[in-house]
Amino acid sequence: MNVRLGDIRDSFEGVIPSIIATTDRDGMPNISYLSHVYYVDEEHVALSNQFFSKTAANVRLHGLATLMVVDGKTGVQHVLDLRFVEAREEGDLFARVSSHLAVTSSQHGMAGIMKLRTIDIYRVEACREVVTPAPLAEPPPPANRRDRLQAAAQLAGRIAALVDVEAMLDGVMDGLVERFGFQHAMLLVPHEDARTLTTIASRGYARFGVGAETTIGEGTIGMAAASRHPVRISDMRRGQRYARAVRAAVEGASDGEIPLPQLAEPQSQLAVPMLSRGRLTGVLFVESGESFAFGHQDEDALVLVANQLAASLSLAEAERIEPRSAPPQRPGAVRPSGTGKFRFRYYPLDGGVFVEDDYLIRGVPGRLLHYFVRAFVETGRQDFSNREMRRDASLGLPEFKDNLETRLILLGRRLQEKGGPIRLSRPDRGQIRVEFDGMPQIEIVTAPA
Amino acid sequence: MVEADVADLVESSVMMVVSTRDDSARAHIARGSGATFLRERSHIDLLLSQTQWPDVARHAVPGAPIAATFVRPSDYRAVQIKGRIHEVAQGDATDQERATRYLAKMLAVMNGLGVSTLQLSHTLTDRDILRIRFAPTELFTQTPGPGAGARIDTP
Repeated sequence: MNVRLGDIRDSFEGVIPSIIATTDRDGMPNISYLSHVYYVDEEHVALSNQFFSKTAANVRLHGLATLMVVDGKTGVQHVLDLRFVEAREEGDLFARVSSHLAVTSSQHGMAGIMKLRTIDIYRVEACREVVTPAPLAEPPPPANRRDRLQAAAQLAGRIAALVDVEAMLDGVMDGLVERFGFQHAMLLVPHEDARTLTTIASRGYARFGVGAETTIGEGTIGMAAASRHPVRISDMRRGQRYARAVRAAVEGASDGEIPLPQLAEPQSQLAVPMLSRGRLTGVLFVESGESFAFGHQDEDALVLVANQLAASLSLAEAERIEPRSAPPQRPGAVRPSGTGKFRFRYYPLDGGVFVEDDYLIRGVPGRLLHYFVRAFVETGRQDFSNREMRRDASLGLPEFKDNLETRLILLGRRLQEKGGPIRLSRPDRGQIRVEFDGMPQIEIVTAPA
Repeated sequence: MVEADVADLVESSVMMVVSTRDDSARAHIARGSGATFLRERSHIDLLLSQTQWPDVARHAVPGAPIAATFVRPSDYRAVQIKGRIHEVAQGDATDQERATRYLAKMLAVMNGLGVSTLQLSHTLTDRDILRIRFAPTELFTQTPGPGAGARIDTP
């Protein structure tokens, strides 16, 4: 009986390694394990060709391979009769496989070793279940998964109806928890240096971790950003022997001063790039302490949500929100609440800001904050508008104007999480008000932070 | 790798996969249910369930080529042994007992490594055992990595 490939996609993830058998020129079989099988369509699969050279040679000779895959949840096995079609060294599928392999091999402490050479495309001539005389355990009842398409449609619709950027960010985070039932979610936006991503919103962690950074190209989140493809890991345990390597990979993923608000021992992760007009505008990330928490349907649903969010954010930024009224001008010298002072250390080189000796933020949010603080110290001003931010050449950075609102939100949330002595509020659309507990003493440091 | 190493390997706590092939050069896949090294004859007795793996069983005939890969699940160290089938027989009481012992041993080992009984529910079986006796002719290291597939030695 032929089984639909779409029905056994969970078996392709290599949680239990797959097995491949071929025959050589002398008629001798060859049998070995392989890490991943990739679903191409209902008639094709792809295998990553790193170093099973005997298998590759046999396949080139006869064009035949037999594959066995195992469902990591239920243990059910399927045998696939494969016929070789072609090898690919580039393209969309190659990029997807390559990024997935990079993430999984780094988690297994083999970063850089398992570099992908080609992906081999096979036509599946037959796919059948291996009938087991006496299974050792009863299969679990089918998981009661929520309808992902409906949830994605509802959440995308909700985002599309919103005008305010902050409401969009909160709407997505709340939607992932309420509509999808995801317990741990994070949203990151790219830093202007194009090397890092910064956390702007999160749910389900002990702290929000706003301002925490992770490197593009590293870890599940970083690989999704670098490859612009979703990265989904179903079972990070792969036995206790991998735990240390996984932990090292997780710890290495955060290179900023603020640790990422992530789970200590995740089993499943899914990171989806947010793309708008081909540009990366962020990464949506969910994780779980349970194995197999995210399936293909979750991945597809999150792609819909992430791209709607990306489009809505880009449109909102492009709209150049202007204040409905001029910022209120407060007469006379304005004094901070409280009579104390605090050190405000600023590094113009990367926009880094330290308050007293504590790191606060860097990049555009740091430059914005320095702008506000300097204006306050010099003139007593506390009210600003998006319009003047955009016009000020001293803040002018490539693409800066495209994501001003997101940076202001990032700054406001980071200040809020820090809990003083600076607070940022938004009295009206396009307006910013900054309040101080004590008088800032600005120090400019020209050496790198 | 010398004979003693082969003996130690196949009889230790290893998972095993087996392949025979048909006349069209299509290889078939089975999982082994235990193996013994016959020291006096330098043969390996490999057990598998013929009802679970009918394709491999059908093409396991005297004189036919066979390949078996043995992998130590604790560190993925793996060796592939290739050879010619010498004799095929229905498993007797001793084989049955070996298969049952192997199942219990590997279940404990794999459970200890965090793999659940459910995940192994279709992998390990001791039913309808067939004994395939073969003479090893070639050994290859099969541990995942750049060295996989390298010939070790001829026993």
